[in-house]
Amino acid sequence: MTGHLLASAPAEAAAHFDLTKIDTGATAWVLASAALVLLMTPGLAFFYGGMVRGKNVLGMLMQNFATIAIVSIVWVVVSFSLAFGGGGSFVGNLHFAGLQHMTEVLPGYTDAAAQVIPPMAFVVFQLMFAVITPALITGSTADRWRFGAFVPFVVAWSILVYGPVAHWVFSPEGWLFKRGALDFAGGTVVHISSGVSALVAALVLGRRIGFGKQKAEPHDATMTVLGAALLWFGWFGFNAGSALGAGALATSAFVVTNTATAMAALTWMTVSWWHKKQPSVIGAAAGAVAGLVAITPASGFVNVMGAIVIGFGAGVVCYLAIQLRERIHVDDALDVWAVHGIGGTWGALATGLFATVAINSAAANGLFYGNPKQVLIQLLAIGAAWGWSIVGTFVILKVVNRFVPLRVEEDEELLGLDLSQHGEPAYASISAN
Amino acid sequence: MDATTVIAVICSVVVFAGWLVLPHSATTVKPVAVAEERKPVAISA
Repeated sequence: MTGHLLASAPAEAAAHFDLTKIDTGATAWVLASAALVLLMTPGLAFFYGGMVRGKNVLGMLMQNFATIAIVSIVWVVVSFSLAFGGGGSFVGNLHFAGLQHMTEVLPGYTDAAAQVIPPMAFVVFQLMFAVITPALITGSTADRWRFGAFVPFVVAWSILVYGPVAHWVFSPEGWLFKRGALDFAGGTVVHISSGVSALVAALVLGRRIGFGKQKAEPHDATMTVLGAALLWFGWFGFNAGSALGAGALATSAFVVTNTATAMAALTWMTVSWWHKKQPSVIGAAAGAVAGLVAITPASGFVNVMGAIVIGFGAGVVCYLAIQLRERIHVDDALDVWAVHGIGGTWGALATGLFATVAINSAAANGLFYGNPKQVLIQLLAIGAAWGWSIVGTFVILKVVNRFVPLRVEEDEELLGLDLSQHGEPAYASISAN
Repeated sequence: MDATTVIAVICSVVVFAGWLVLPHSATTVKPVAVAEERKPVAISA
């Protein structure tokens, strides 16, 4: 993302950051955006929490809440350095482990525009992306993941899957960045990696008891709509904050984010209305999230007309992906693969179609603006993210399972995660005694 | 108008015009029976 704004020349070894050049407006916006992105994870917890049964809602909230804490530590200790350190195009070295050497310019971020915010502001902004990415996976494995196995999974996944993919795409040192892959705010790094990993996790953990026989109705659709609204709000920090400044590009990213989201919500509502004969409330919320996902990689590269097409495509493609997922009986409980994996893939591809240097002169045109090669570059990035996420997630799950069983026992699943994993009911009507 | 704008206009027309032909009469839907959850067992503190 930000690298497309900032990298223009090879990094000098251990060049020091010039604190006198800090832009206070840009720094304030990036810090505020970090807080906005942080709010997305509790928003996601509510979005997911409303859709699970009442006996599992605390389990869902806890997985998301714990992810904030887990990744906050892992990021500053090691993952940030793997993602944004130098030393190679596949993964960063440990030079910035423990956030040491933060007075230095980050490798590749050598342009003057890169040095208007303190590196620590960049660290905390990127942390919030690293937090929400594994949290997204929790929707696919709802109602059955043992909390004791979830924690080591998040630690390992943040280091072994997120760190390298973020390095490839976001860091100016990464091999996909060097090939010109465009991902302004994480369509590939955040949404493809989490959405594809969610599918793998759903397959490895297996279907919930009663899947296909009894319908697991959302226990509180109001929570889901509130969660979607919080996500929509926080996503302005996600996308507009990725400009790393408070100027025209941030404003453009803000507007196209809202436009694509609105179009996707309307499209999903229309498609589901046509398919199911009524406009679904949860469908509109899911459509909005699909639009947010799809515009993420494109938000710094496309104009509002491109955003409308991307939102429309997200509403159609993600809805169809859910129909496919149901047909093949995969228990991705809350359709993380369809919304984030497929939505992220559509967004990354659409970036290669609709990107224009009229919006971001530091990037490249897409197919519709005379550069068909960009589509191929985007496909390469998509394929790499899919492949690494599938293999990495599968291996991590199998290794964790050797130490802690991934799935709760049948009794515990029937009882619900709230009581079996945490010993606390979410509601008075579900008592522990 | 460039190609992106043309496609965007078509998408918008499809969505908004689509509403004119969607079912608008009240649909009778059977209340969905929520699966009864198993009663919780006592858990010692």
